[in-house]
Amino acid sequence: MLKVENLVTRFGSVVAIDGVSMTAQESKITTVIGANGAGKSTLLRTISGLEHPASGSITWKGQSILGKRPEEIVRLGIAHVPEGHAVISELSVEENISMGSLFRRKKYKSDVTAAIDEMYALFPRLKERRKQLAGTLSGGERQMLAISRALVSRPQLLLLDEPSLGLAPLVVEQIIDSVNTLCRTTGLSVLLVEQNANTALGVADHGILLALGKVVADRPASELKADATLRAAYLGY
Amino acid sequence: MNTFLAALSSGTSRGAIFALVALGLVIVWRGAGIVNFAQMGQAMFSTYIASTLITNGNSYWIAFFVALLSGAVLGALLDILVMRPLSNKKQSELLSSESMRAAVPVIASLGILGALQALAGIIWAAEERGFPAPAKQEGFTFAGNVLPFTSFDLFVVSIVSLTLLVTTLFFTKTGIGLAMRATALNQEVAKLSGIRTNRTRTISWAISGAASSLAGLLITPTSNLSPNTLDLVLIVGFTAAVVGGLDSPAGAVLGGFILGMVISFVTFYDTPEDVFLAILAVLLLVLIIRPRGILGSKDARRV
Repeated sequence: MLKVENLVTRFGSVVAIDGVSMTAQESKITTVIGANGAGKSTLLRTISGLEHPASGSITWKGQSILGKRPEEIVRLGIAHVPEGHAVISELSVEENISMGSLFRRKKYKSDVTAAIDEMYALFPRLKERRKQLAGTLSGGERQMLAISRALVSRPQLLLLDEPSLGLAPLVVEQIIDSVNTLCRTTGLSVLLVEQNANTALGVADHGILLALGKVVADRPASELKADATLRAAYLGY
Repeated sequence: MNTFLAALSSGTSRGAIFALVALGLVIVWRGAGIVNFAQMGQAMFSTYIASTLITNGNSYWIAFFVALLSGAVLGALLDILVMRPLSNKKQSELLSSESMRAAVPVIASLGILGALQALAGIIWAAEERGFPAPAKQEGFTFAGNVLPFTSFDLFVVSIVSLTLLVTTLFFTKTGIGLAMRATALNQEVAKLSGIRTNRTRTISWAISGAASSLAGLLITPTSNLSPNTLDLVLIVGFTAAVVGGLDSPAGAVLGGFILGMVISFVTFYDTPEDVFLAILAVLLLVLIIRPRGILGSKDARRV
């Protein structure tokens, strides 16, 4: 579905992604794990068009999306939830959610309302707070909001960057569970970047281990989880 | 008492115009992160277009709407032809540092101002000409007394209030308005939400262009029209925007009225020569007590 080949992304002279090839399978959760600075976020940011790769190719449903702008890529069905609870604090919860479906409001008017209602059903706390400014939400609620903002665009692939960052374990579990349920029931494909490898491998079908911008392992999640050598060498536990 | 009323009414109608100028500046600042010093140059240009149309026998109202439209078109063109290429990181090595990236568009806007003024001088000659008002500029009479409030003042205040109301509704109630606010607040999240930020930025420039053209049409009946007449209006409008908080539309309106009143009361009770001293005093006072402006948000950039 999504195919990345020999991708290289640089920041000045620093090579963040150094020849990565990987795929995200349809209706599966693929997780990208690795230590801080391994290039996980950069990989997602390059796929969603926020960063421009130096070389390599990114193919989505058989077509190259290389060089497309982020606002066009999301319209093709790839929604990105960047790191750090990316919501707009000065806008209300309601506005943050509907922002994600603005580009669909003319063509799919009734579905936009349905999509927003689905998000409120998925995260009822957002519905209670829909008139509040996003800046007043807790970290967990903000992450739910960021995910909702991405999901109302009705993506086929969700790029999720460190949803657990700075959140309490219980909240992380709730968020990961929701994403897992969505994937299993609606056929949404997920590319999940996590530093918390245990959580990620627990829910994912497939795991990709990155180190210093290179793919070190690309295997079913269960195998990766069981490999004590890899864990010790790259994840430190 | 009569002097007080006169100052109050002139302050209201001037304040309304400054509010409009400040609003135009705030819209572009919020939408594109640029202080557009060319704004009143654009307004001057479209007022000249209106003036030419009227001289050629068209009605005031045709000229009025053509001027608003040309203000919007000119604003959009400046963004597409000048500002967008400048902000394109890949194209220019010049913009490698953050401060340069902020400074270059502002300097470009000064360049545009110069170019528009020179062009207007070439096309329409540089001497002053009058510009008509759509309503009488004599005071209303009440119980035999001539009040210091004219039909034109009433027209100015009502059309500016209407504009402010429509702009507010547009920003808060429509999808494009939401897209524009999102683009101004967080471009990355806006883009990831599928908002075409280049387009919303151009719309900001167009709306700002129309608003400042309206200001030009409303102020020239009392100030006359020449390529440079609106420079002072820009200075006052910019001060109003800073006083109110450069990132706050409501603050722009408040700042506009504050400065309108200050100018008017200083003119009536003191001398017109002290007007700029008073403006400077207000600016310094606000910057010392509340550097972000009266209604500005906490993390707004220092000006």
